[in-house]
Amino acid sequence: MSSQATTSNIAMNQDASLPNPKKWLTIGAIGLLISLVGLISSPIGAYSYLVSVLFVSSIAIGMLFLVLIHHIFDAGWSTVVRRQAENFLSVVPYLGFLFIPLFLMTMKDNGLIWIWMDDTASLHGHGTVGEDVLYLKKTWWLNETFFWIRAIICFGSWAFFARALRKHSFSQDSDGKAEHTFACRKLAAGGLVVVALTWSCAAFDWIMGLEYHWFSTMFGVWFFANAMRAALAVLVLTCTYLVAKGPLKGIFNNKHLHDLTTLSFAFCVFWAYISFSQYFLIWNGNIPEETFWFNYREEGIYFYIGMFLVFGHFLFPFLFLLQFKLKTAHASARFICCWILFMQLFDLYYNILPSLKDSHGEPYQMFSSPLNFVWFISGIVGVVGILLWAYWTSFNKVKIIPIRDPRITESLNHSH
Amino acid sequence: MAKKYGLIAKFDTPADIMHAAEKVRDAGYKQWDVITPFPIHGMDPAMGLKRSIVPRFTIVGGTLGFTTGMSMIWFTNAYDYKILIGGKPLFSPMFAFPVSYELTILFSAFASIAGMFIMNKLPMHYHPMLKHKEVAASSDDKFFLYIETADPQYSEESTRSLLESLNPVEIDELDD
Repeated sequence: MSSQATTSNIAMNQDASLPNPKKWLTIGAIGLLISLVGLISSPIGAYSYLVSVLFVSSIAIGMLFLVLIHHIFDAGWSTVVRRQAENFLSVVPYLGFLFIPLFLMTMKDNGLIWIWMDDTASLHGHGTVGEDVLYLKKTWWLNETFFWIRAIICFGSWAFFARALRKHSFSQDSDGKAEHTFACRKLAAGGLVVVALTWSCAAFDWIMGLEYHWFSTMFGVWFFANAMRAALAVLVLTCTYLVAKGPLKGIFNNKHLHDLTTLSFAFCVFWAYISFSQYFLIWNGNIPEETFWFNYREEGIYFYIGMFLVFGHFLFPFLFLLQFKLKTAHASARFICCWILFMQLFDLYYNILPSLKDSHGEPYQMFSSPLNFVWFISGIVGVVGILLWAYWTSFNKVKIIPIRDPRITESLNHSH
Repeated sequence: MAKKYGLIAKFDTPADIMHAAEKVRDAGYKQWDVITPFPIHGMDPAMGLKRSIVPRFTIVGGTLGFTTGMSMIWFTNAYDYKILIGGKPLFSPMFAFPVSYELTILFSAFASIAGMFIMNKLPMHYHPMLKHKEVAASSDDKFFLYIETADPQYSEESTRSLLESLNPVEIDELDD
């Protein structure tokens, strides 16, 4: 059985040159601990913690979308990269745990993050939240019980689909049954609907809900676009890293890379389309209920961050990824993916931080204190540590590619 | 008396024509082509074809389209016949953007098609291959490779002996 001989070679994942998961757990734990100090000590620390959790969630749920889309289309080419996405899915069950500190803090100090949770919070010059007719009209959706039930449904459904997809894929490695592929396809049909709804819900509740006066139907789609961009960037970085280190050498070829970067390009345009449409409709409609949200984001540093997003999160990656040579070379693909991840973080800051107000009702300026950077950096280091710990733990347990997937040969020979 | 267009060789299998193409490529010929009933994967590198330069036409078209859109809206609304609508500025890239975006796509598409026509030397009303006695087989089950007399390396003897060395089923002359 020559095929089994080659597959057992592929299964040798443990390698001294690859990172140790425990190292990442330590880094993640230290980062999270510092970040939790920020969460307890200051509102900007709390917002920074929220940004970090949403950053890692967008990578993880983006991966979930990629795997679901792979199965719903019965895709062939992406079979070899699917396993890396599945490894990243191992972090999904922990996302809910990362959210628990936010729950505990809002129990202690209701209006710390989502101001509507505190009926007595004063709106600058307009009485309190409890007297605000705009809030009273929305209480059927924006009440704490329902809010946390929705959060549980979100994290629960993501964990369910992530675990089920992983289980089927890994079981197929050992028994080779085609039923797992069919089961995944059925999961994907339902999962895409559920995850699309819960992810939009997450965007509405956790980001749009920060400024409960404001509403934009584009917001869920914007968050989806961000998740896809982040996940694709991480996937390209992972695969090129694994090629450089050896495990995926000769498996992950330039055509796989080209397809991933092309998808990255597509979602770059999609992100721009959604973000522009949101801005344009509000600009054109020009009614105060909507425009105030962007007015806050033109104050102080946020104006420059907004411009940085237009040119750095859209125009630069757009022109970069238009070029075939840059898309298919490992070094340039790695560069642009790091850039996209960095900009993705700024996009979250831009959408989340201005909702925090100072004592004058003005948006809290992101760089107002050097201490802010401690919370920003520790939060990101913390969640990235957890993500990579979950990834490498899963990576060491399973085979490098789904060796008995019906479409694995097609994917290995993907060249046109 | 018809002018001679080139020499044409006939092959029976995709593998044969692929190997033949590699040898002709390595011999350094430039003005030649293969005719197959269906696309053969890997034929582009076998023939030594580079990536198409049509995308260059596309980016020029796209840039032109974008600037046309922007300047058209500026010209009509802010310069030629000023209209103030809803207290908005006379010109803003915001409302010019949807038009510019559409024109970017439209002009890109036009430029791509024009670029494809130019690169393929279209419109071409007939090709010498159409006069070949076995033109029908070229869209059925036979594979052809021809080298044009216009090729700088072309010579009656050496080209014919190169083609013969490829073990074709048959070598024929192609009239212009």
